[in-house]
Amino acid sequence: MPLLEVDNVVVGYGAGPDILTGLSLNIEEGTAYCIVGPNGAGKSTLLRCIAGFLPPRVGEVRLDGARMNGSRPDQMLAAGVCFVPQDASLFPGMTVKENLVMGGYLIDDRSLLQERLETVYETFPVLAERKSQHAGTLSGGEQQMVTLGRALMIEPRMVMIDEPSLGLAPMIADQIFEKITGFKDLGITVVLVEQNAVKGLETVDWGFVLDLGCLEFEGPADGILADPRIRDLYLGKAMTPREGA
Amino acid sequence: MQWVQLVVLGLLLGGVYAMMASGLTLLFGVMRVVNLAHAAFILLAAYLTYTLFENVAMDPMISLVVTMPLMFGLGVVLYLILFPRLEASPRYVEMTVLLTFGLALIVEGMLTFVFTGIFRSVRPVYSSTAINLGEIFMPTSQFYASTISFGLLIVLWAVLRFTKTGTAIRATMQNRSAAQIVGVNVRRVSAISFGIGMALAGAAGSLLSFMFPFFPARHWQWVAILLALIVLGGMGSIKGAVIGALLLAIASAFVTDLFGPTWSPITFYLTLFLILMLKPEGLFGAKVRL
Repeated sequence: MPLLEVDNVVVGYGAGPDILTGLSLNIEEGTAYCIVGPNGAGKSTLLRCIAGFLPPRVGEVRLDGARMNGSRPDQMLAAGVCFVPQDASLFPGMTVKENLVMGGYLIDDRSLLQERLETVYETFPVLAERKSQHAGTLSGGEQQMVTLGRALMIEPRMVMIDEPSLGLAPMIADQIFEKITGFKDLGITVVLVEQNAVKGLETVDWGFVLDLGCLEFEGPADGILADPRIRDLYLGKAMTPREGA
Repeated sequence: MQWVQLVVLGLLLGGVYAMMASGLTLLFGVMRVVNLAHAAFILLAAYLTYTLFENVAMDPMISLVVTMPLMFGLGVVLYLILFPRLEASPRYVEMTVLLTFGLALIVEGMLTFVFTGIFRSVRPVYSSTAINLGEIFMPTSQFYASTISFGLLIVLWAVLRFTKTGTAIRATMQNRSAAQIVGVNVRRVSAISFGIGMALAGAAGSLLSFMFPFFPARHWQWVAILLALIVLGGMGSIKGAVIGALLLAIASAFVTDLFGPTWSPITFYLTLFLILMLKPEGLFGAKVRL
Protein backbone atom coordinates (compact mmCIF):
# COMPACT_ATOMS: atom_id res chain seq x y z
CA MET A 1 0.00 0.00 0.00
CA PRO A 2 1.33 3.48 -0.81
CA LEU A 3 2.14 5.77 2.10
CA LEU A 4 -0.10 8.47 0.74
CA GLU A 5 -2.78 8.40 -1.93
CA VAL A 6 -4.27 11.47 -3.56
CA ASP A 7 -7.45 10.26 -5.20
CA ASN A 8 -9.29 12.39 -7.77
CA VAL A 9 -8.86 15.53 -5.68
CA VAL A 10 -10.49 18.87 -6.57
CA VAL A 11 -9.31 21.88 -4.54
CA GLY A 12 -9.67 25.66 -4.67
CA TYR A 13 -9.36 28.68 -2.42
CA GLY A 14 -12.40 30.26 -0.77
CA ALA A 15 -15.17 30.62 -3.32
CA GLY A 16 -12.62 30.71 -6.16
CA PRO A 17 -12.26 28.35 -9.11
CA ASP A 18 -10.86 24.82 -8.87
CA ILE A 19 -7.06 24.85 -8.85
CA LEU A 20 -6.65 21.08 -8.83
CA THR A 21 -9.17 19.51 -11.18
CA GLY A 22 -9.33 15.86 -10.26
CA LEU A 23 -5.74 14.96 -9.49
CA SER A 24 -4.60 11.49 -8.48
CA LEU A 25 -1.14 10.29 -7.50
CA ASN A 26 0.51 7.85 -5.09
CA ILE A 27 3.48 8.43 -2.80
CA GLU A 28 5.48 5.35 -1.81
CA GLU A 29 7.32 5.20 1.50
CA GLY A 30 11.05 6.00 1.34
CA THR A 31 11.02 7.45 -2.18
CA ALA A 32 11.93 11.03 -3.07
CA TYR A 33 9.61 12.86 -5.46
CA CYS A 34 9.73 16.14 -7.28
CA ILE A 35 6.62 17.87 -8.59
CA VAL A 36 7.31 20.09 -11.58
CA GLY A 37 5.14 22.08 -13.94
CA PRO A 38 4.45 25.62 -15.10
CA ASN A 39 3.30 28.44 -12.80
CA GLY A 40 -0.31 28.00 -11.74
CA ALA A 41 -0.28 24.25 -12.35
CA GLY A 42 -1.32 23.70 -8.72
CA LYS A 43 1.95 22.37 -7.27
CA SER A 44 1.87 24.40 -4.06
CA THR A 45 -1.88 23.96 -3.78
CA LEU A 46 -1.41 20.19 -3.84
CA LEU A 47 1.06 20.37 -0.95
CA ARG A 48 -1.21 22.68 1.03
CA CYS A 49 -4.11 20.31 0.47
CA ILE A 50 -2.15 17.27 1.65
CA ALA A 51 -0.88 19.20 4.68
CA GLY A 52 -4.44 19.91 5.80
CA PHE A 53 -4.54 23.63 5.03
CA LEU A 54 -7.08 23.26 2.24
CA PRO A 55 -9.83 20.65 2.43
CA PRO A 56 -10.52 18.86 -0.87
CA ARG A 57 -13.84 19.83 -2.51
CA VAL A 58 -14.04 16.43 -4.13
CA GLY A 59 -11.94 13.29 -3.75
CA GLU A 60 -9.85 11.88 -0.96
CA VAL A 61 -6.42 12.11 0.58
CA ARG A 62 -5.50 8.80 2.22
CA LEU A 63 -2.60 8.09 4.56
CA ASP A 64 -1.88 4.36 5.03
CA GLY A 65 -5.24 3.80 3.40
CA ALA A 66 -7.10 5.91 5.99
CA ARG A 67 -9.15 8.87 4.79
CA MET A 68 -7.61 12.15 6.00
CA ASN A 69 -10.08 14.68 4.52
CA GLY A 70 -10.83 17.45 7.00
CA SER A 71 -7.77 16.77 9.16
CA ARG A 72 -6.19 19.92 10.55
CA PRO A 73 -2.51 20.72 9.87
CA ASP A 74 -1.55 19.73 13.42
CA GLN A 75 -3.30 16.39 12.98
CA MET A 76 -1.51 15.71 9.70
CA LEU A 77 1.79 16.55 11.40
CA ALA A 78 1.00 14.22 14.28
CA ALA A 79 0.36 11.53 11.64
CA GLY A 80 3.87 12.13 10.29
CA VAL A 81 3.26 14.45 7.37
CA CYS A 82 5.40 17.57 7.67
CA PHE A 83 5.08 20.63 5.43
CA VAL A 84 7.83 23.18 4.76
CA PRO A 85 6.18 26.14 2.97
CA GLN A 86 8.06 28.36 0.55
CA ASP A 87 8.23 31.55 2.61
CA ALA A 88 10.69 30.20 5.22
CA SER A 89 7.98 30.69 7.81
CA LEU A 90 9.87 31.09 11.05
CA PHE A 91 9.19 32.87 14.33
CA PRO A 92 11.23 36.04 13.79
CA GLY A 93 11.28 37.07 17.45
CA MET A 94 12.57 33.70 18.66
CA THR A 95 16.13 32.42 18.54
CA VAL A 96 17.21 29.65 16.19
CA LYS A 97 17.12 27.22 19.10
CA GLU A 98 13.62 28.31 20.13
CA ASN A 99 12.48 27.91 16.53
CA LEU A 100 13.85 24.38 16.44
CA VAL A 101 12.23 23.56 19.79
CA MET A 102 8.93 24.85 18.34
CA GLY A 103 9.39 22.23 15.62
CA GLY A 104 9.04 19.66 18.38
CA TYR A 105 5.90 21.31 19.73
CA LEU A 106 4.00 18.03 19.53
CA ILE A 107 6.66 16.23 21.61
CA ASP A 108 6.05 16.38 25.36
CA ASP A 109 9.12 14.38 26.42
CA ARG A 110 11.83 16.91 27.23
CA SER A 111 14.78 14.53 27.05
CA LEU A 112 13.62 13.30 23.65
CA LEU A 113 13.33 16.91 22.53
CA GLN A 114 16.91 17.59 23.66
CA GLU A 115 18.11 14.45 21.84
CA ARG A 116 16.43 15.55 18.60
CA LEU A 117 17.90 19.02 18.98
CA GLU A 118 21.40 17.52 19.17
CA THR A 119 20.71 15.43 16.07
CA VAL A 120 19.55 18.50 14.16
CA TYR A 121 22.70 20.40 15.23
CA GLU A 122 24.80 17.49 13.92
CA THR A 123 22.99 17.53 10.59
CA PHE A 124 23.08 21.34 10.35
CA PRO A 125 26.27 22.52 12.11
CA VAL A 126 25.54 26.09 11.00
CA LEU A 127 22.42 26.08 13.19
CA ALA A 128 24.46 25.11 16.24
CA GLU A 129 26.68 28.13 15.60
CA ARG A 130 23.70 30.43 15.25
CA LYS A 131 21.49 28.92 17.95
CA SER A 132 21.23 32.08 20.10
CA GLN A 133 20.62 34.40 17.16
CA HIS A 134 17.12 35.68 16.40
CA ALA A 135 15.71 33.94 13.34
CA GLY A 136 14.65 37.29 11.84
CA THR A 137 18.30 38.32 11.51
CA LEU A 138 19.46 35.27 9.52
CA SER A 139 20.24 35.21 5.81
CA GLY A 140 17.79 33.57 3.42
CA GLY A 141 19.82 30.38 3.15
CA GLU A 142 20.21 30.09 6.91
CA GLN A 143 16.49 30.64 7.40
CA GLN A 144 15.79 27.82 4.95
CA MET A 145 18.20 25.63 6.96
CA VAL A 146 16.20 26.42 10.10
CA THR A 147 12.92 25.40 8.46
CA LEU A 148 14.49 22.13 7.26
CA GLY A 149 16.06 21.50 10.67
CA ARG A 150 12.77 22.30 12.35
CA ALA A 151 11.03 19.73 10.15
CA LEU A 152 13.45 17.06 11.39
CA MET A 153 12.54 17.70 15.03
CA ILE A 154 9.47 15.46 14.93
CA GLU A 155 11.16 12.80 12.77
CA PRO A 156 8.37 12.86 10.22
CA ARG A 157 7.58 9.98 7.86
CA MET A 158 7.16 12.36 4.99
CA VAL A 159 8.36 15.92 4.33
CA MET A 160 6.83 18.16 1.70
CA ILE A 161 9.11 21.04 0.74
CA ASP A 162 7.80 23.93 -1.33
CA GLU A 163 10.36 25.82 -3.45
CA PRO A 164 13.35 25.50 -1.11
CA SER A 165 15.71 27.30 -3.48
CA LEU A 166 13.47 30.34 -4.03
CA GLY A 167 15.49 33.54 -3.88
CA LEU A 168 18.74 31.80 -2.94
CA ALA A 169 22.10 32.11 -4.64
CA PRO A 170 22.93 28.96 -6.67
CA MET A 171 25.72 27.92 -4.31
CA ILE A 172 23.46 28.22 -1.25
CA ALA A 173 20.67 26.41 -3.12
CA ASP A 174 23.09 23.53 -3.78
CA GLN A 175 23.70 23.21 -0.03
CA ILE A 176 19.95 23.09 0.55
CA PHE A 177 19.49 20.34 -2.07
CA GLU A 178 22.32 18.41 -0.43
CA LYS A 179 20.45 18.51 2.90
CA ILE A 180 17.27 17.36 1.17
CA THR A 181 19.14 14.37 -0.25
CA GLY A 182 20.18 13.72 3.36
CA PHE A 183 16.49 13.50 4.35
CA LYS A 184 16.07 10.59 1.98
CA ASP A 185 19.06 8.83 3.52
CA LEU A 186 17.32 9.10 6.91
CA GLY A 187 14.46 7.07 5.44
CA ILE A 188 12.12 10.05 5.17
CA THR A 189 9.84 10.24 2.15
CA VAL A 190 10.47 13.52 0.37
CA VAL A 191 8.05 15.44 -1.84
CA LEU A 192 9.66 18.45 -3.41
CA VAL A 193 8.12 21.27 -5.41
CA GLU A 194 10.82 23.11 -7.28
CA GLN A 195 10.87 25.92 -9.81
CA ASN A 196 14.33 24.88 -10.90
CA ALA A 197 12.96 21.64 -12.33
CA VAL A 198 16.28 20.23 -13.51
CA LYS A 199 17.91 20.70 -10.13
CA GLY A 200 14.84 19.34 -8.37
CA LEU A 201 14.60 16.23 -10.54
CA GLU A 202 18.32 15.56 -10.15
CA THR A 203 17.76 15.43 -6.39
CA VAL A 204 14.94 12.84 -6.41
CA ASP A 205 13.93 9.40 -7.74
CA TRP A 206 10.57 10.05 -9.30
CA GLY A 207 8.96 13.01 -11.00
CA PHE A 208 5.40 14.23 -11.31
CA VAL A 209 4.58 16.70 -14.07
CA LEU A 210 1.53 18.83 -13.25
CA ASP A 211 -0.31 21.08 -15.64
CA LEU A 212 -3.63 22.91 -15.25
CA GLY A 213 -4.45 21.11 -12.02
CA CYS A 214 -3.96 17.61 -13.39
CA LEU A 215 -1.20 15.04 -13.35
CA GLU A 216 0.14 15.22 -16.90
CA PHE A 217 2.90 12.66 -16.66
CA GLU A 218 4.91 10.70 -14.12
CA GLY A 219 8.04 8.62 -14.31
CA PRO A 220 11.58 8.09 -13.06
CA ALA A 221 13.28 11.45 -12.60
CA ASP A 222 16.22 10.66 -14.89
CA GLY A 223 13.77 9.52 -17.57
CA ILE A 224 11.91 12.83 -17.41
CA LEU A 225 15.18 14.74 -17.61
CA ALA A 226 16.19 12.73 -20.64
CA ASP A 227 12.87 13.15 -22.47
CA PRO A 228 13.29 16.11 -24.85
CA ARG A 229 9.53 16.46 -25.35
CA ILE A 230 8.82 16.96 -21.63
CA ARG A 231 11.88 19.13 -21.21
CA ASP A 232 10.61 21.35 -23.98
CA LEU A 233 7.05 21.54 -22.70
CA TYR A 234 7.50 21.81 -18.98
CA LEU A 235 11.05 22.26 -17.83
CA GLY A 236 11.79 25.52 -19.57
CA LYS A 237 13.39 25.90 -22.93
CA ALA A 238 16.31 27.91 -21.59
CA MET A 239 17.78 24.74 -20.16
CA THR A 240 17.32 22.75 -23.35
CA PRO A 241 20.01 23.45 -25.91
CA ARG A 242 18.20 22.97 -29.21
CA GLU A 243 19.75 21.67 -32.37
CA GLY A 244 21.19 24.48 -34.44
CA ALA A 245 20.92 26.97 -31.60
CA MET B 1 8.32 67.44 44.16
CA GLN B 2 5.14 68.12 42.24
CA TRP B 3 6.34 66.05 39.30
CA VAL B 4 6.97 62.95 41.47
CA GLN B 5 3.37 63.17 42.62
CA LEU B 6 2.17 63.35 39.03
CA VAL B 7 4.32 60.40 37.95
CA VAL B 8 2.97 58.34 40.84
CA LEU B 9 -0.63 59.20 39.95
CA GLY B 10 0.11 58.38 36.33
CA LEU B 11 1.65 55.02 37.22
CA LEU B 12 -1.34 54.13 39.41
CA LEU B 13 -3.79 54.69 36.56
CA GLY B 14 -1.31 53.33 34.03
CA GLY B 15 -1.17 49.96 35.78
CA VAL B 16 -4.88 49.42 35.21
CA TYR B 17 -4.69 50.79 31.66
CA ALA B 18 -1.78 48.45 30.99
CA MET B 19 -3.80 45.42 31.99
CA MET B 20 -6.78 46.47 29.88
CA ALA B 21 -4.56 47.19 26.92
CA SER B 22 -2.65 43.91 27.13
CA GLY B 23 -5.86 41.95 26.79
CA LEU B 24 -6.78 43.93 23.69
CA THR B 25 -3.34 43.69 22.10
CA LEU B 26 -3.10 39.96 22.86
CA LEU B 27 -6.29 39.39 20.88
CA PHE B 28 -4.97 41.47 18.02
CA GLY B 29 -1.65 39.63 18.05
CA VAL B 30 -3.17 36.17 17.99
CA MET B 31 -6.27 36.69 15.87
CA ARG B 32 -5.69 39.98 14.00
CA VAL B 33 -8.96 41.13 15.56
CA VAL B 34 -9.36 44.66 16.93
CA ASN B 35 -11.95 43.91 19.58
CA LEU B 36 -14.06 47.07 19.69
CA ALA B 37 -16.18 45.40 22.37
CA HIS B 38 -13.26 45.05 24.78
CA ALA B 39 -14.31 48.02 26.91
CA ALA B 40 -17.97 46.98 26.71
CA PHE B 41 -16.99 43.66 28.27
CA ILE B 42 -14.99 45.56 30.91
CA LEU B 43 -18.23 47.42 31.70
CA LEU B 44 -20.17 44.17 31.79
CA ALA B 45 -17.76 42.94 34.47
CA ALA B 46 -18.05 46.26 36.30
CA TYR B 47 -21.83 45.86 36.45
CA LEU B 48 -21.43 42.28 37.61
CA THR B 49 -19.14 43.53 40.37
CA TYR B 50 -21.70 46.22 41.21
CA THR B 51 -24.46 43.61 41.47
CA LEU B 52 -22.36 41.39 43.72
CA PHE B 53 -21.45 44.37 45.90
CA GLU B 54 -25.01 45.63 46.25
CA ASN B 55 -26.64 42.26 46.83
CA VAL B 56 -24.17 40.12 48.73
CA ALA B 57 -21.75 42.88 49.79
CA MET B 58 -18.86 41.18 48.04
CA ASP B 59 -15.73 43.32 48.03
CA PRO B 60 -14.96 44.34 44.43
CA MET B 61 -11.39 43.03 44.75
CA ILE B 62 -12.71 39.66 45.90
CA SER B 63 -15.17 39.61 43.01
CA LEU B 64 -12.22 39.15 40.62
CA VAL B 65 -12.44 35.45 41.43
CA VAL B 66 -15.96 35.53 39.99
CA THR B 67 -15.56 37.92 37.07
CA MET B 68 -12.29 36.53 35.70
CA PRO B 69 -13.35 32.88 35.23
CA LEU B 70 -16.83 33.90 34.09
CA MET B 71 -15.43 36.24 31.47
CA PHE B 72 -12.85 33.64 30.41
CA GLY B 73 -15.65 31.16 29.78
CA LEU B 74 -17.75 33.75 27.98
CA GLY B 75 -14.75 34.59 25.79
CA VAL B 76 -14.12 30.99 24.78
CA VAL B 77 -17.81 30.40 24.01
CA LEU B 78 -18.20 33.64 22.05
CA TYR B 79 -15.06 32.87 20.06
CA LEU B 80 -16.17 29.35 19.18
CA ILE B 81 -19.66 30.46 18.18
CA LEU B 82 -18.80 33.61 16.26
CA PHE B 83 -15.30 33.59 14.82
CA PRO B 84 -14.45 30.27 13.09
CA ARG B 85 -17.08 30.86 10.40
CA LEU B 86 -15.50 34.22 9.55
CA GLU B 87 -12.02 32.78 9.13
CA ALA B 88 -12.58 31.64 5.57
CA SER B 89 -13.93 35.04 4.56
CA PRO B 90 -11.70 37.09 2.29
CA ARG B 91 -12.93 40.15 4.23
CA TYR B 92 -12.00 38.69 7.63
CA VAL B 93 -10.66 41.92 9.13
CA GLU B 94 -13.63 44.05 8.06
CA MET B 95 -16.07 41.38 9.23
CA THR B 96 -14.48 41.15 12.67
CA VAL B 97 -14.62 44.94 13.08
CA LEU B 98 -18.35 44.85 12.33
CA LEU B 99 -18.83 41.82 14.55
CA THR B 100 -17.09 43.32 17.59
CA PHE B 101 -18.82 46.67 17.00
CA GLY B 102 -22.11 44.78 17.06
CA LEU B 103 -21.11 42.94 20.23
CA ALA B 104 -20.33 46.27 21.90
CA LEU B 105 -23.79 47.58 20.97
CA ILE B 106 -25.47 44.41 22.25
CA VAL B 107 -23.64 44.55 25.59
CA GLU B 108 -24.37 48.27 25.94
CA GLY B 109 -28.04 47.72 25.09
CA MET B 110 -28.45 44.92 27.58
CA LEU B 111 -26.74 46.88 30.33
CA THR B 112 -28.94 49.90 29.66
CA PHE B 113 -32.01 47.66 29.73
CA VAL B 114 -31.10 46.05 33.06
CA PHE B 115 -29.34 48.88 34.89
CA THR B 116 -30.72 51.99 33.07
CA GLY B 117 -28.46 54.76 31.83
CA ILE B 118 -27.70 56.44 35.16
CA PHE B 119 -24.26 56.58 36.77
CA ARG B 120 -23.36 53.72 39.08
CA SER B 121 -20.37 53.22 41.28
CA VAL B 122 -19.12 50.68 43.78
CA ARG B 123 -18.21 52.30 47.07
CA PRO B 124 -16.23 50.07 49.39
CA VAL B 125 -14.64 51.76 52.44
CA TYR B 126 -11.33 52.29 50.72
CA SER B 127 -12.90 54.14 47.77
CA SER B 128 -12.74 57.46 49.62
CA THR B 129 -9.49 57.14 51.56
CA ALA B 130 -5.93 57.95 50.62
CA ILE B 131 -2.45 56.74 51.46
CA ASN B 132 0.12 59.41 52.26
CA LEU B 133 3.80 58.60 51.87
CA GLY B 134 5.49 61.77 53.06
CA GLU B 135 4.65 64.33 50.41
CA ILE B 136 3.18 61.77 48.04
CA PHE B 137 -0.55 61.19 48.01
CA MET B 138 -2.17 58.06 46.58
CA PRO B 139 -5.91 57.30 46.44
CA THR B 140 -6.24 53.92 48.18
CA SER B 141 -8.54 52.52 45.52
CA GLN B 142 -6.07 53.32 42.73
CA PHE B 143 -3.20 51.91 44.75
CA TYR B 144 -5.03 48.60 45.25
CA ALA B 145 -6.22 48.47 41.66
CA SER B 146 -2.83 49.06 40.11
CA THR B 147 -1.09 46.64 42.50
CA ILE B 148 -3.52 43.91 41.44
CA SER B 149 -3.09 44.90 37.79
CA PHE B 150 0.68 44.67 37.92
CA GLY B 151 0.33 41.32 39.72
CA LEU B 152 -1.93 40.01 36.96
CA LEU B 153 0.44 41.31 34.28
CA ILE B 154 3.28 39.33 35.89
CA VAL B 155 1.06 36.24 35.92
CA LEU B 156 0.24 36.83 32.24
CA TRP B 157 3.93 37.20 31.43
CA ALA B 158 4.77 33.98 33.28
CA VAL B 159 1.98 32.06 31.55
CA LEU B 160 3.13 33.24 28.13
CA ARG B 161 6.78 32.59 28.91
CA PHE B 162 6.75 29.29 30.75
CA THR B 163 3.71 27.23 29.79
CA LYS B 164 3.25 25.18 26.67
CA THR B 165 0.01 26.98 25.83
CA GLY B 166 1.79 30.30 26.39
CA THR B 167 4.53 29.28 23.99
CA ALA B 168 1.88 28.36 21.43
CA ILE B 169 0.23 31.76 21.91
CA ARG B 170 3.54 33.60 21.41
CA ALA B 171 4.33 31.52 18.34
CA THR B 172 0.89 32.24 16.86
CA MET B 173 1.38 35.97 17.51
CA GLN B 174 4.69 35.94 15.65
CA ASN B 175 3.64 33.85 12.68
CA ARG B 176 0.26 32.20 12.51
CA SER B 177 0.95 29.90 9.57
CA ALA B 178 4.33 28.84 10.95
CA ALA B 179 2.58 27.96 14.20
CA GLN B 180 0.16 25.75 12.26
CA ILE B 181 3.06 24.11 10.49
CA VAL B 182 4.75 23.04 13.72
CA GLY B 183 1.49 21.53 14.95
CA VAL B 184 -0.15 24.30 16.96
CA ASN B 185 -3.93 24.06 16.82
CA VAL B 186 -4.44 27.76 16.15
CA ARG B 187 -8.18 27.60 16.66
CA ARG B 188 -7.68 26.27 20.17
CA VAL B 189 -4.99 28.88 20.81
CA SER B 190 -7.30 31.63 19.53
CA ALA B 191 -10.14 30.45 21.79
CA ILE B 192 -7.84 30.40 24.83
CA SER B 193 -6.41 33.81 23.93
CA PHE B 194 -9.88 35.26 23.57
CA GLY B 195 -10.64 33.78 26.99
CA ILE B 196 -7.49 35.30 28.52
CA GLY B 197 -8.23 38.70 26.96
CA MET B 198 -11.76 38.55 28.36
CA ALA B 199 -10.53 37.42 31.79
CA LEU B 200 -8.27 40.49 31.86
CA ALA B 201 -11.28 42.59 30.82
CA GLY B 202 -13.18 40.98 33.70
CA ALA B 203 -10.46 41.90 36.18
CA ALA B 204 -10.32 45.42 34.76
CA GLY B 205 -14.09 45.79 35.16
CA SER B 206 -13.98 44.76 38.80
CA LEU B 207 -11.14 47.21 39.48
CA LEU B 208 -12.61 50.12 37.51
CA SER B 209 -15.94 49.70 39.30
CA PHE B 210 -14.55 51.34 42.44
CA MET B 211 -12.24 53.81 40.69
CA PHE B 212 -14.66 55.61 38.39
CA PRO B 213 -18.44 56.02 38.19
CA PHE B 214 -19.80 54.30 35.09
CA PHE B 215 -22.85 54.14 32.84
CA PRO B 216 -23.52 51.79 29.91
CA ALA B 217 -22.27 54.05 27.09
CA ARG B 218 -19.04 54.85 28.94
CA HIS B 219 -17.17 52.07 27.12
CA TRP B 220 -16.79 54.07 23.88
CA GLN B 221 -14.56 56.53 25.71
CA TRP B 222 -12.50 53.72 27.22
CA VAL B 223 -12.05 51.74 24.05
CA ALA B 224 -10.80 54.88 22.31
CA ILE B 225 -8.19 55.33 25.03
CA LEU B 226 -7.24 51.64 24.82
CA LEU B 227 -6.78 51.89 21.06
CA ALA B 228 -4.44 54.84 21.56
CA LEU B 229 -2.42 52.81 24.07
CA ILE B 230 -1.96 49.76 21.87
CA VAL B 231 -1.24 51.77 18.74
CA LEU B 232 1.47 53.67 20.62
CA GLY B 233 3.02 50.44 21.86
CA GLY B 234 2.67 48.67 18.51
CA MET B 235 -0.37 46.52 17.74
CA GLY B 236 0.13 42.98 18.99
CA SER B 237 3.03 43.75 21.32
CA ILE B 238 2.19 43.18 25.00
CA LYS B 239 5.40 44.84 26.13
CA GLY B 240 4.47 47.81 23.93
CA ALA B 241 0.95 47.98 25.36
CA VAL B 242 2.27 48.09 28.93
CA ILE B 243 4.88 50.73 28.19
CA GLY B 244 2.44 52.74 26.04
CA ALA B 245 -0.14 52.63 28.84
CA LEU B 246 2.31 53.82 31.49
CA LEU B 247 3.71 56.59 29.28
CA LEU B 248 0.31 57.93 28.28
CA ALA B 249 -1.14 57.71 31.78
CA ILE B 250 1.78 59.73 33.12
CA ALA B 251 1.46 62.21 30.24
CA SER B 252 -2.25 62.64 30.90
CA ALA B 253 -1.54 63.27 34.60
CA PHE B 254 0.75 66.14 33.58
CA VAL B 255 -1.78 67.49 31.07
CA THR B 256 -4.47 67.39 33.76
CA ASP B 257 -2.23 69.29 36.13
CA LEU B 258 -1.27 71.94 33.58
CA PHE B 259 -4.54 72.49 31.73
CA GLY B 260 -7.22 70.88 33.88
CA PRO B 261 -8.96 67.48 33.69
CA THR B 262 -11.06 68.50 30.65
CA TRP B 263 -7.93 68.33 28.53
CA SER B 264 -6.74 64.94 29.80
CA PRO B 265 -8.44 62.78 27.10
CA ILE B 266 -6.81 64.81 24.35
CA THR B 267 -3.45 63.35 25.41
CA PHE B 268 -4.59 59.98 24.09
CA TYR B 269 -6.20 61.13 20.86
CA LEU B 270 -3.38 63.48 19.99
CA THR B 271 -0.86 60.69 20.56
CA LEU B 272 -2.94 58.36 18.41
CA PHE B 273 -2.90 60.83 15.51
CA LEU B 274 0.79 61.60 15.88
CA ILE B 275 1.82 57.95 16.05
CA LEU B 276 -0.28 57.04 13.02
CA MET B 277 1.28 59.89 11.08
CA LEU B 278 4.89 59.48 12.16
CA LYS B 279 5.48 55.86 13.19
CA PRO B 280 2.44 53.72 12.32
CA GLU B 281 4.04 50.49 13.54
CA GLY B 282 4.29 51.96 17.08
CA LEU B 283 7.14 51.67 19.54
CA PHE B 284 7.46 47.88 19.54
CA GLY B 285 5.39 46.87 16.53
CA ALA B 286 6.72 44.20 14.24
CA LYS B 287 8.69 45.61 11.36
CA VAL B 288 10.24 42.27 10.44
CA ARG B 289 7.82 40.17 8.46
CA LEU B 290 9.03 36.74 7.52
